[in-house]
Amino acid sequence: MRTNFTAAQLTDPAIAEADQILQTCVHYGFCTNTCPTYVLTRDENDSPRGRIDLIRAMLEQGGRPAAKTVHHLDRCLSCLSCMTTCAVKVDYVHLIDRARVHIEQHYKRPLADRATRALLAYVLPRPRLFAAAMKAGRLAQPFASILPKRLRAMLTMIPARASSDILAPQVFPAEGPRKKRVALLAGCAQQALNDNINAATIRLLQRHGCEVVIADGAGCCGSLPLHMGRENEAKGFAQTNVAAWSRGSFDAIIVNASGCGTTVKDYGHLLGSDDAKRIGALTRDVTEILHDIGLKTPPNPRAYRVTYHDPCSMQHGQKVIDQPRALLRAASFQVADVPEKHFCCGSAGTYNLLQSEIAEALGQRKAAHIESTTPDIVATGNIGCMTQLNRYLGTPIVHTVELLDWATGGPLPPALEGVDLPEPSTLHAATAPDTPTADAGFW
Amino acid sequence: MTANFDAFFNEIQSKLGADAVNRSDETITRYAENTMPGGDRRPAGVVYPASTAEVQTIVRAANAHKVPLYPVSTGNNIGLGSRSASTAGQVIVDLGRKMNRILDINDRLAYCVVEPGVTYQTLTDELTRRGGQLMLDVTSGPPQGGPLGNALDKGAGYTPYFDHFGFSCGMEVVLGNGEVLRTGDGSIDSDKLVNWHTSKYSFGPILDGLFTQSNYGIVTRMGFWLMPRPPAVQSFHFTFPDDDDLEEVIELCRPLKMSNFVPTLFRVANDLYLSASEGQSQEYGSGKSLSDKGRRELREHFGLGAWNISGAFYGPNEAAMAPMIQRVRDHFMKSGKARYIDHEQAKSVPTLQVAINAFSGTPSHGELGLLKWRPGGGNLWFTPGTPMDGKIANEFQHLCRKIYEDYAFDYTVMNVCGARFARGLHVITFNREDPEESKRADACYRAMAKAFAERGVFVGRAPLDYHDMHFAQTIPAFQQACSSIKQALDPNGVIAPGRYGIQ
Repeated sequence: MRTNFTAAQLTDPAIAEADQILQTCVHYGFCTNTCPTYVLTRDENDSPRGRIDLIRAMLEQGGRPAAKTVHHLDRCLSCLSCMTTCAVKVDYVHLIDRARVHIEQHYKRPLADRATRALLAYVLPRPRLFAAAMKAGRLAQPFASILPKRLRAMLTMIPARASSDILAPQVFPAEGPRKKRVALLAGCAQQALNDNINAATIRLLQRHGCEVVIADGAGCCGSLPLHMGRENEAKGFAQTNVAAWSRGSFDAIIVNASGCGTTVKDYGHLLGSDDAKRIGALTRDVTEILHDIGLKTPPNPRAYRVTYHDPCSMQHGQKVIDQPRALLRAASFQVADVPEKHFCCGSAGTYNLLQSEIAEALGQRKAAHIESTTPDIVATGNIGCMTQLNRYLGTPIVHTVELLDWATGGPLPPALEGVDLPEPSTLHAATAPDTPTADAGFW
Repeated sequence: MTANFDAFFNEIQSKLGADAVNRSDETITRYAENTMPGGDRRPAGVVYPASTAEVQTIVRAANAHKVPLYPVSTGNNIGLGSRSASTAGQVIVDLGRKMNRILDINDRLAYCVVEPGVTYQTLTDELTRRGGQLMLDVTSGPPQGGPLGNALDKGAGYTPYFDHFGFSCGMEVVLGNGEVLRTGDGSIDSDKLVNWHTSKYSFGPILDGLFTQSNYGIVTRMGFWLMPRPPAVQSFHFTFPDDDDLEEVIELCRPLKMSNFVPTLFRVANDLYLSASEGQSQEYGSGKSLSDKGRRELREHFGLGAWNISGAFYGPNEAAMAPMIQRVRDHFMKSGKARYIDHEQAKSVPTLQVAINAFSGTPSHGELGLLKWRPGGGNLWFTPGTPMDGKIANEFQHLCRKIYEDYAFDYTVMNVCGARFARGLHVITFNREDPEESKRADACYRAMAKAFAERGVFVGRAPLDYHDMHFAQTIPAFQQACSSIKQALDPNGVIAPGRYGIQ
């Protein structure tokens, strides 16, 4: 696409980068049919190429963006499904992030919006504060009907069961000979919502010969503020993490919340420093490193039917697609895919808090697809998806590492406690629902 | 005729709801866009039917108000017209938004019935969900394209079910006069249509073909036969070093297909067809075609030859197919020029993984990358065919390569080979934002179309820009027959006037 920035505008490296990205888009439109918001609304401005055009106009004009532009860019999930589909590989993620920064800097939202966004950006990255806020929120739930609509929506998102354990800096030794020394990003919101994910990750890594370090000073990855356009706050978190991890010597930085993983892997772009690039290159999703090491043989195979939901940040952001499935299969589970798996579940960081209607439509759509596979258990790799889908699913959802931990000697995941799972010995003579009569083929 | 667009859109809105009409500037601009040199074509608006009955409502209103319609299914016809209409000012009937339901999958008789908006990805996902015992033949194009639109445009895949129209069975069509036609065994006047999607050859003429590459009606439902999914797919690949090796390659492929020893079609792709998907031209701007040196470097970088052949076997397991692979290997290696790449090696080569996906009925994006070989987004597909005669195929290669070079484009082709015929998928990638280069791309296409027509060779699917030109290459009796059918089924000419040259 042709752009029309002035020479003065192009002296700003951020605009120069946006210009290069914009020029790569040639409007084939492959992206439209894989964009969840476009499929829901059929509004061109809710499609990637429509948004790219809006961003071009906004950045070229500079200054205060039109309310309509903000409306459509806010509705982007940043799921990056468009990037998987795009034939010319438009670097949409960095373009939409740049647009969000521009909006944050140049657009004055209504007071309620500003307050909500500031609150989220401050509370979510701080797990102790977030845990306290959830407790307060639960107390307020009975009064939800008299609260403003957005607050009401947020209260409904608070999970009925949350278990918090904010990990202090420490070292968890490897079981047996040490194969690797890794730093684990303990995360922020995840620690307040579900402490078993980190616990299972640590047990699993220890069991597979990894020494696991919770580095002093490391905290929120910066993803949540970054996707709200608060670039400086995001950079602050990122710099802190890079410094914390640079003080040690690690074979890998392990992330078990894939939304965070996408951001940490991209620290080099966010910060531009050599240290940040090095940390980004060291970063692995937990399933990547376990796949490389190889999963121990499960002592008691449990052949439950596990439907695996790909978080967008894993399938589109990091392209970590095969490893979780391979690990679950190695752990003896029967793994099913979700129809329309390229679509977002509507979680998308703070999206389900800020765009609740679209998020709900996507959540219900995704849950229906998942349930259509008749799973015993649903697994995924991102706390955001787990929280979002838990609202719509009738089947328990757990993190992949919780199942892998359980399969290789760890405890039953808390989400499965009290769940009436079928006896593994009687599981699934057939492999799928609506199994066709097997005489269609001679094989 | 004088079209009354406002009256048409008002009627649609009042009968189908406000949600069924979109006339926003953004929408019109996007639906105008395409990748061809002839420029964008702004439609008058877009309508979204949700059922066959709603398509009837739209067609009847179009007749009443003299409004030309242009139906699209999933709108992924990139390089052939995208979602744009035959001419500006037509109303796009976007069937993909709401008519995207899988109406039936019969697991025992192995067929499915779909609406126009069902995509390859959706159908594959559903077959997987049902246990993966059946597979759909897919293209190597966009996963969000769909079987119905592809079959109607005479598209094809690579498995034994490659002929998408040939493996379709039974249509429901809203004719240009607003009547609903059921083809094949669906034509019986009964509520129990037992064989609609299992038999094509019962009573009466086979009308289905009338709705391919034409404009006589809007197909709203179509059956497709599905292939039992084999437990294992084992691909094989060969490279040949020289351009003129094509002659021998075609001779080697023919007997393997004639005997059906190899169940898939052969993908015989040149160096650029495979390597272009992985990068952009480093010589763009030189004013010439890619140099021999540039091609050589690409071949070395990607481990490819001037020609690259892919095929596959299906079987219960890898071991059962090993002897067949060995026979094919012996057959190709006797040339002394072939290099063999086995299935496992090919899986790590992205450009060959595309072939494996296609043979496995797995939609994938990999091949789309070749559209970015040059900047600016221009793409045209030129699709002549060659008999499976090595000498003729090689002559055609020389002819086409020369014309590409005359117009300073990069010869990019894959011959998809059956027993007697190979379709040559030529892509011209050009900078559509450069008027001079666009003009050259147009001239290049026309020169090739003329040269092939002079040799008695027609194209398969054609970009919208050239429908009139190609139609004019047919005999008068063909043109008259097409017009007479149009007059009979769409007397007011409201369905896609000009599509495939038929007014």
